[in-house]
Amino acid sequence: MLVQRVFAVAMLLVCLGLAVMAWPYQAAFSYEPVGPRAFPLLMLALMGLGLIYMVFRPSPVVHSEDDPKLDRETLTKIGLCVVLLLIFAGTFETLGFILSSTLIGIPMARLYGGRWLPSIVIISLMSVGLYLLFDKAMDVPLPLGLLDVLEN
Amino acid sequence: MDTFGYLGQGFGVALSPYNLVTALCGTLIGTVVGLLPGLGPINGVALLIPIAFALGLPPESALILLAAVYLGCEYGGRISSILLNIPGEASTVMTTLDGYPMARKGLAGVALSLSAWSSFIGAFIATCGMVLFAPLLAKWAIAFGPAEYFVLMVFAIVCLGGMAGDWPLKTFIAALIGLFLACVGIDANSGVYRFTGDNIHLTDGIQFVVLVLGLFSISEILLLLEKTHRGQEVVKATGRMMFNFKEASAVFVVNIRCGLLGFVMGVLPGAGATLASAVAYMTEKRLAGATGKFGEGDMRGLAAPETAIGASACGALVPMLTLGVPGSGTTAVMIGALSLYNITPGPLLFQQQPDIVWGLIASLFIANIMLVILNIPMIRIFTRILSVPNWALVPVIAIITAIGVYAVHATTFDLFLMIGIGIFGYILRKLDFPLSPVLLGFILGGLMEQNLRRALSISNGALEILWASPITLGVWVLTALMLLMPVLRIWRKRSAQRRALADA
Repeated sequence: MLVQRVFAVAMLLVCLGLAVMAWPYQAAFSYEPVGPRAFPLLMLALMGLGLIYMVFRPSPVVHSEDDPKLDRETLTKIGLCVVLLLIFAGTFETLGFILSSTLIGIPMARLYGGRWLPSIVIISLMSVGLYLLFDKAMDVPLPLGLLDVLEN
Repeated sequence: MDTFGYLGQGFGVALSPYNLVTALCGTLIGTVVGLLPGLGPINGVALLIPIAFALGLPPESALILLAAVYLGCEYGGRISSILLNIPGEASTVMTTLDGYPMARKGLAGVALSLSAWSSFIGAFIATCGMVLFAPLLAKWAIAFGPAEYFVLMVFAIVCLGGMAGDWPLKTFIAALIGLFLACVGIDANSGVYRFTGDNIHLTDGIQFVVLVLGLFSISEILLLLEKTHRGQEVVKATGRMMFNFKEASAVFVVNIRCGLLGFVMGVLPGAGATLASAVAYMTEKRLAGATGKFGEGDMRGLAAPETAIGASACGALVPMLTLGVPGSGTTAVMIGALSLYNITPGPLLFQQQPDIVWGLIASLFIANIMLVILNIPMIRIFTRILSVPNWALVPVIAIITAIGVYAVHATTFDLFLMIGIGIFGYILRKLDFPLSPVLLGFILGGLMEQNLRRALSISNGALEILWASPITLGVWVLTALMLLMPVLRIWRKRSAQRRALADA
């Protein structure tokens, strides 16, 4: 219940912020009666109403039986996973697809319970394989990054 | 009937060798994607959009590919629910009830092929319905003006809340989030930059693929971290693979009934496969009465939800193709795909590009038949995929998701945006918000705003145009009814509780 209230209040603040942001949106000259700010403001207002209701009358979250409680350990894992994904996005172009996906793929496999050796072997093979599949066979251009030298 | 002429033409398109191979690849890819944890029809189709585009497929082949992937995904989800007792998504929950007990009895192969067959009949009935009604609806829909469209979309959003789940409020908030996200980017009418924060990458809005993959794939990857153990053993599919004539005829009546029901539910916006399968299962259970062994591996209990899912999946294409208003998450993705090819679904599509419409309908037929046939030789390979451990799968899913996002615009900004959306989606999921309304809202948002502004331009700002015509009035009445549904349901539940308290 508390989590939902916190979420609703946070979302309300975001809505308010966005509404303030939307306020000055006006067309320099316009032929139509409805400008660019009416629709987003309407949506934000409706969302705000819903969220206010949620603050006062939050609905209980139903947990199914096999849904484990969020403990500190799982939360750290989720945090780590997000960090890995961010590193992936950050190094995607500079290191290139193959290196960056190997770099984050191996710790990620470890995070999901893989052992070192199989993780390293499978993820490295996968990175190269996926690069060949998408870049060479399917014409989806992927960055080579540091491995650019090998190309020529 | 020129409709049949067009349908023949559609089969001509779908049966060309190139498109047949496309459909075959699509069903195979789709089945594998549907099997994997964390990938369902919505992200499966979304992943393939940029790839189909990069491959340079012509629009009708791309659509056929996506439709085949979609059906394949549904089939793959069935495999995991029958053999593992783990429903891949909400709509296959009903399939596990009788499918898994059947598999335990050693009828895994029969259960799988029978479910494919049921789904085929469902799709067949729905396709017949589509052939009959879609052109009529399209003809009628030409009379729709912007005001009518706007009201119709309001109805579609309200339907979602009225039909889906116990917490209509959360569904509405989710849909509103989607509607709002659609506003990000440059405003086409006035050229004003909205909510971009001076970021160049946001000028043409949030990319559809980025939103879908973030919301569904990334949040699922995070969700999978919580489930480190795997509870169920895979039931080995041994023995007979194909159902026999007796079994097929035993469920034939069920198939017909649930097919019709599924089609109607599929056409209604917001209802979709989940509700259709649940209603079908419950109805058949009640009809069978004491003779049924529902829940212990009754074939009818397997056939009913599967037929309904197959029928509603095709039925959902009716509002999407004729009105351009999607009614479910997956059709929303398909609209996203169509818009990449600059095809606007709507009443005119039937006149201007009959090849695409009827080719798509025909390919649904063909893909369904392929699935029934593929089932027999491939099932052993498919079941082996189920035993691939998560630690090997999840990183690969993450990497492929990133490729799909990168393929759209080739910027890393989209990757960061996807991760951000993914975290937000994860939080929403933990708080029991449904995610597909976000997606539906996102697709409808742009259309809704355009139509509202156009309507008010016509009337020079007078709001009366929104309820001036009989069509708009009718839709408003329906909308009001839909809004009352959850209130009524809660009220009835409360009064039942009170009565129970009074009795005790």
